[in-house]
Formats: sequence, C-alpha cells, structure tokens
Amino acid sequence: MSKDVVIMSEQIEESHESPSGLKVLWREIIRDKLALSSLILLIVISIGVIIGSAILDYDEVTKVDLFNTHAPPSSENWLGTDYGGRDVFGQLIIGTRNSLAIGVLVTLMSGFIGILFGLIAGYFGGTIDNIFMRILDFFLILPFLMIVIIFVAIVPKYSIISFSLIMTAFLWMGTARLVRSKALQERELDYVNAAKTLGTSNLKIMLTHVLPNLSSIIIVNMTLSLAGNIGIESGLSFLGFGFPESTPSLGTLLSYATNPQTLEYRWWIWLPAAILILILMLSVRNVGEAFKRATDARQRRG
Amino acid sequence: MPILKVENLKVHFPIKGGIFGRTVDYVKAVDGVSLEIEKGTTYGLVGESGSGKTTTGRAIIGLNKITSGKVYFEGKEVTNLRRSRASFHRDVQMIFQDPYSSLNPKKRVLDIVAEPLRNFEKMSRSEEKKRVEELLELVGLSPESIVKYPHQFSGGQRQRIGIARAIALKPKLIIADEPVSALDVSVQAQVLNFMQEIQKELDLTFLFISHDLGVIRHMCNQIGIMYRGRFVEEGLTEDIFNNPQHIYTKRLVAAIPNIDPSKREESLQFRKEVDHEYKQSYANYFDEDGLAYNLQPISETHFVALPEKG
Repeated sequence: MSKDVVIMSEQIEESHESPSGLKVLWREIIRDKLALSSLILLIVISIGVIIGSAILDYDEVTKVDLFNTHAPPSSENWLGTDYGGRDVFGQLIIGTRNSLAIGVLVTLMSGFIGILFGLIAGYFGGTIDNIFMRILDFFLILPFLMIVIIFVAIVPKYSIISFSLIMTAFLWMGTARLVRSKALQERELDYVNAAKTLGTSNLKIMLTHVLPNLSSIIIVNMTLSLAGNIGIESGLSFLGFGFPESTPSLGTLLSYATNPQTLEYRWWIWLPAAILILILMLSVRNVGEAFKRATDARQRRG
Repeated sequence: MPILKVENLKVHFPIKGGIFGRTVDYVKAVDGVSLEIEKGTTYGLVGESGSGKTTTGRAIIGLNKITSGKVYFEGKEVTNLRRSRASFHRDVQMIFQDPYSSLNPKKRVLDIVAEPLRNFEKMSRSEEKKRVEELLELVGLSPESIVKYPHQFSGGQRQRIGIARAIALKPKLIIADEPVSALDVSVQAQVLNFMQEIQKELDLTFLFISHDLGVIRHMCNQIGIMYRGRFVEEGLTEDIFNNPQHIYTKRLVAAIPNIDPSKREESLQFRKEVDHEYKQSYANYFDEDGLAYNLQPISETHFVALPEKG
C-alpha cells in the first residue's frame, strides 16, 4: 500500500517536471469547462451514432413507404418521416455517422498529404521549395466547386471513400503551407545541423526530428479543419453535389428544407440535422481553440 | 601528415536582387583560408563577429557549401562529398555554440546521445543504454539523466550533453564552434578543462573556434586570426601572444584586460601605442578594399599577412 503511494507520488513529480505535449493539451482541456463539455458531447455523439447505425437496419431506414409520408413525430417514428416515408431519426443517426466519417477521413488524408508536402518543401527549401509551392499554387487556383460538380456528374455512384478523395484533393493546401512555414523555421535550428553532422539521413531528420517539433501545431490545425470539413460536406450535400438521398448525411437532410412547405410546416425533417451540425462544429471548434491555446504558453489557462 | 588540411577555402554566399532574383553580388564569408592541424593538437580560430570563423568550421564539416578550395582529412579529399561522407561523419564531429537550440527539445537524453550510435553502430538496446550511461558519466552527468529532457538541464549541463553526443563515436577531429561563449564564466572553465581532459584521454584533435582570446590561449597550440574572411596572422600560441606582427592582432592582444593593478599603466601605454600605430599605418596592413594581404612567413611557424614588398 505505502509502496503504491510512493510510486504514485513519483509519477506525479515526474509529470510535474516535464509536461509532455499531450499532457499540456489535456490539462488545458480540463481547465476550460466549455472545451471539456464539448469534448464529452463529441465523444457521446460519435459513440452514439456509431452504435446506433450498427443497430439500425440500413435498408429499413431508407425504405420508401408511400403510405406514411411527412408523418409528424410519433412513438413509431421518433422524428417523423420525410416525403418518401423514410424514418428521419434513423437517417439522422446514419447521416451523422456518414458526415463524421467523411470529416475525419478528409481531415486525416488531407493532413497526411499536407504534412508530407509541407515538410519536404520546408525542410529542403531552395529550388525544391519553389517547385513544390508552384504546384501548390496550381491546386489553390482550381475551382473547387466546379470540379466537384463535374465529378458528381461523371461518377455514377459514389461512396464515402471517393467523396473523401475528391474533397482531399482540394483541402490539403492549408496544412501544407502551415507545415512548410514551420519547417523552414525549424531547419535553421542547430539540432537539425547537429543531426546532419551525426550522419542521420534527411528522411530520418524530417520524420524523427522536425515532425515531432511540429506536432502541436499540426494537432491544432487538424482539429480546426475537422470542423470546417464537416461543414463543407454538409454544404455540398445541401447544394445537391454531395451524397444522393440513398446515402443519408446531415447535408441531405438539410436540403429537404429547400422545399418551402417543409421549411415552414415540417420542422422535424431539417431542424434536428441543422442543430446537430451546429453542435458538432461548435464543439470541435471549442476543443480546437483549447488545443490552440495549449500550444502557446502565454495564452494557456492550465 | 596533418589530420586536417584546408587549402584556399572559399565560401561565398550569393546576394539576390532585382526582379528576377538574379545574383547581384557575393558575400565573401570565407575568402582563401588555408590551415593544417596536426593530430592531438588544438587549433584556434579567432576573429570578430562576421569574420568567417564559424563559416569555416561549418564548411569543413559540410554544413555550408564550399565555393572553391579543398579539404583533406587524413590525406583523403572530402570537399563537398555527398555519398562517401559516412566515414567522414564518423571521424569528424561538431560541438555547437548554442546549447539551447542544438538539442532536440522533444527527445530524451538517451535518444540524443544514442543518435550517432544508432547511425553507425549496430548495438542492442541494452548495450546502447550502457554506452550512453558511460558517456554521461564521462562528461560528469549522472546516469539517471538518460530519461530526462533537455529543458531539465542548465546551460552548462546541456553543453556537456552536446559534448557527450560528439564524442560518442570516438571521433578523431572535433570542430568546437564557440562551445563556451553561451555559458557563464564559472561554467566555462569546467567545460574547457573537461575538453582538455577528454582530449588527452581519447587523443582528440580540436578545431576551436572562439572570439575569446583568453580561452584560445588556454586551449590552443596553434592560432589563426581571421579578419573579413581572410587570415591576418597564423602561428603558434607563443608567436601570436608574445610577438604579434599584424596591427589587427596587436589590437586584439592589447584588448585583453590585465588584472594586475601594478601593470595598469604599462598596459594602458601599450594600448595607446597600438592605437596610434593603427591610425598611422592602417594602409600598410590592408589593401585598397580593406582586406588582408596574403600570408608571408616571418619564421618557420609564424605567418603574417603583409604586402609582398614591405
């Protein structure tokens, strides 16, 4: 018993001496009640929709029932039905899962490409940096919306993966620029020179020396872009360039509101989705802002 | 055979200008430096800020691109080598000026000191750990330090970690770029004495870069004095301190403070003389561009940059 206490106190002392990056992030979250409740809410929603969509029968939810269209909320259909008689609550659960999955997938993929691209450009600098940045500029001036519309028209039936890929192709540039600028700063520091004189290869220096020192800003950037990506997906689906109705997402539910009748009299179809988008984006943003503060010692609260 | 031989080393940095980023001019950071270092000795490079001493060191180890000139290590040419640098990196190491930025803040001491071992020697984890602990003991840090992060150490301790990393592979030559200038004076002596100890122990050769003449005098067998990318005087420590020939060297030597109060008048007089000579005969020592002339021998070990006729 007393031994345990000693070990415990040692651990506490150690954590007091050198707070690692993750611990600092966690402390900041704990200290900021808004971020903490946002994080809990996010976790509850994510787990809820993942379990919920596993239990729900996909075919049952998307089955058209013409005898039960536009039904108001009842004990059978908790949030009523849409114009095809499909259960809105089920669509909301599956739709949230789809939207979240796309948001996370796009964030991870664009983060991966952006980090790789920015790291190479920033670490090597000079001519390589110049070439990479011109490639990036090219992607930056491509009309995102137009290409997505054409893509929707060409690909007959697309899935979460293909939709994520097309979004990723246009959303990695921000991360790349951020990582490049930080890598440019970092490579001037002596520990990079030291690693070079110690005979470490460039690849290893990039991945094991420079990247860990950029980890905090990468986490912040990816968290904040997660909120944005969920919003972009919903926006595209709302405009009709996202998922078809057979694949529900928060955006497709919201797009029913383009019908004035639905907008005015059938709140149960679009209002829950709208509120959920708001909650998700705000929560992710709150957590991201707390992370952002944690990376800057002057703004920290914890 | 000298362990390191540098022939007419030049490092020029382009100045880009104009709309298209053309190269308008060059900064001649190092402009024709030659030196030879014998095994087991310490060679001191002295000069004011911007005189090119650090650039010389960095160019030798390969951190700056060499514009022209040749570097020989143990008789083999290593100028701007790319592929076959591996063995060179094993034998030549560098100690950096700033103990704060030269250690990766995200790594533990074990990973920092073991990095060269991981690159060149195939060791098991436990062997590696044992070796790092030995190295830390050698530089006077407790073996428990291996689990700590750099920010948990003081400046002097961090510099010792840097030294432990540099000697991990038992190199033959260490380029020490102002290793003590970021440390406070009490710690400077510790680190310098320690460097002399390991020099004897491991038969090391140092290229010691500093602007502190006191430190240089304490450490070095041979000295080269740099001014605007060129040598103004080169010789054994005794040559430089007892018989300075070039006006720039004289000014440097005169500027060393003397703590003996009875000699105060004397050193003041010397300083005034040197200052007077500097004002009188500046033009005799530097060419039209204010650069030093080529080195002329005045004894077997002593070289001074004087105009050829004078």
